[in-house]
Amino acid sequence: MNRRIAQIVCFAFGALLFALYFSQHPAARKLNATVMIDYWQIIFAITLLVGVLGFVRMTWGSIRKGDDRPYRIVSLIGLGSMPVLAIIWGIRGDSPFMWMFEYVLVPMQSTVFALLAFFVASASFRGFRARSAPAAVLLAAAILTLLSRSSLEGIVPQFFTEAADWVRGNPSMAARRAILIGIGLGSLTTSLRVILGIERTWLGGEK
Amino acid sequence: MKQIESRHWIFGGLFVIVIITMVLNINLEVRVTPETDRFYACLDSLPAGATVIVSFDHEASSLPEIRPLALAVLRHAFSRDLKLVGTALLAEGTAVGYRLMTQTADEYGKTYGEDYVYLGFKPQYIAAILSMGESIPDTYPEDYLGQPYRDYEMLVDVENYDDIAAVISIADGSLTTHWIEYGASRYNIRIVAAVTAAMMTTYDPYLASGQLYAMFGGLRGATEYEQLIGIGGSGKRGMLAQSAAHVYVMVLIIAGNIIYFRTRRRKGSAS
Amino acid sequence: MDWSVIIAGLLTLAIFSFLYRDNPVYKMAESLLIGVSIGYFLVITWSNTLMDLLFVPLVQDAKWPLVLPLALGLMMFGRFHKRTASLSRIPIAILIGSGAGVAIPAMLEARTLRQITATVGPLLSESGQPDWSVIVVLTGVITTLAYFYFSREHKGVLGGVAKGGTYFLMIFFGTTFGYTVMSRMSTLIGRVEFLLSDFVRLAQ
Repeated sequence: MNRRIAQIVCFAFGALLFALYFSQHPAARKLNATVMIDYWQIIFAITLLVGVLGFVRMTWGSIRKGDDRPYRIVSLIGLGSMPVLAIIWGIRGDSPFMWMFEYVLVPMQSTVFALLAFFVASASFRGFRARSAPAAVLLAAAILTLLSRSSLEGIVPQFFTEAADWVRGNPSMAARRAILIGIGLGSLTTSLRVILGIERTWLGGEK
Repeated sequence: MKQIESRHWIFGGLFVIVIITMVLNINLEVRVTPETDRFYACLDSLPAGATVIVSFDHEASSLPEIRPLALAVLRHAFSRDLKLVGTALLAEGTAVGYRLMTQTADEYGKTYGEDYVYLGFKPQYIAAILSMGESIPDTYPEDYLGQPYRDYEMLVDVENYDDIAAVISIADGSLTTHWIEYGASRYNIRIVAAVTAAMMTTYDPYLASGQLYAMFGGLRGATEYEQLIGIGGSGKRGMLAQSAAHVYVMVLIIAGNIIYFRTRRRKGSAS
Repeated sequence: MDWSVIIAGLLTLAIFSFLYRDNPVYKMAESLLIGVSIGYFLVITWSNTLMDLLFVPLVQDAKWPLVLPLALGLMMFGRFHKRTASLSRIPIAILIGSGAGVAIPAMLEARTLRQITATVGPLLSESGQPDWSVIVVLTGVITTLAYFYFSREHKGVLGGVAKGGTYFLMIFFGTTFGYTVMSRMSTLIGRVEFLLSDFVRLAQ
């Protein structure tokens, strides 16, 4: 029964928003905004809170079992400290909340990302081999791009830069466009199947 | 103690090269590419007083690359006396966007509420983009500072995208795609993007089809833009290191291939 | 002495320590990062969305219709207990249905039709010469689409065309790899710049 109601709700919201896409009537636009803001945004925001609670429950479970206890405790302290700081001092200007963002979160987050530079360099040495003709083409395109997008313009002939721009704008773009069209058609059919109730995996397994 | 492996030498080499080139502190001039020029011309052609949305659609992880791009664009926009409305489609971009906007506004003597307003974050980016097309004040009843939207004089006539000259999406992922597919397609808003280098090829088909009006990106793009507006920044400072790192990766690729082919030939002659 | 910069610098080095090998200092920093990220996300979502779109209009302006999305949102918490888990299907249905409803026209128009329109152009330029850029793009799109067509075995003509698509894909991957290297190096340069200009200078 519950699954049937969920399917009907899914169809109703899907069909409604699909229809509203084509209407310019003020009443239709008002309804569109109401669905977007009052339902989609609010429910989604609460769903994010569910995700946070799920993380807390999982971490707490690990602490009780003793799995990586010190690290899990640090995670929970980090998580708990942010709302506490926000409640006491607010989140704007030079608040401790913003301090945590700027001097704890940003440096670590961007450094984690910077680690990838080293792994890319390592992969270039170990895995980037011209084993076949397509692999050689991939390698040539990568080297051409690297040459053209550095600032070695005095050393590298202008021809390389022009060739790299042409490659990116034509054959490379064409492949990306084909991927885009493929994804577009796939998303289109999946959306239709979801609204029409043919695709029901999102409802879960249990009856 | 674990032994030093070959990857450690590769890591160390990259570290040394970047540090040395950064310490040398040499600013390189670069050729301005047509794509950066088109972005610049787009902002430059907007009349003073036109309202532009600057959307910080990125996370904190890409800040080292995004920051020079965002600063260059914001400096250009403020110098052109455009009215800026800041938004964020990702939570981490929210605080970053506010900091960058206020910092740049101070450089140009701009006043919050008169020259720019920061609206902040809304989750579910598709819903946020589409609902702003219907009503920006309904989507953002309050700004980031908690003040009602209607209190700001510069926003009195800004109801939806009809009152916006362009959207500048500063992104490190696929969020610009949603601006194009939902904002541009449904509401005919002009979208321009400043993106990380890794995302540039992703947006090429939209740029070629005209759905994305202009795009530039990466540290190299930031350097080009800094050159166009005549203000040096961290983009310019990092270009020597960037070039050296590119050469290092190319050398690694070539060295890896030489070793591979020599080993293959040796194995071939042995058998 | 700027303790903020010193802390940021030490945390940066803690993350970089992973380059040698996985170690407790890195793990501790990583755990802190996860916690702080989620905490930040929670606060921003609460203050920037739930307060101004839900609680302020509901409590201050008595906008009672908002009780319905609030109730639907709260049904999501049913997921944590077996007996109430099925309640969450209704709000999920709204999210999935809404997403699918707006995606159909967007995918059809922006991702498919507009891209096909941009692909099909005149193969000859105004002077009557072949326009190689248009020809290359058209060939690239058709052959790459053929490569992703799995309903028939890649043999004969389809096999040949699909093989052509492989080369276009390799060019795209190669170009993207080049730009990705650029991106990752930019991030590294940003962190090294911080360490050299802010952190090390302070230490002196």
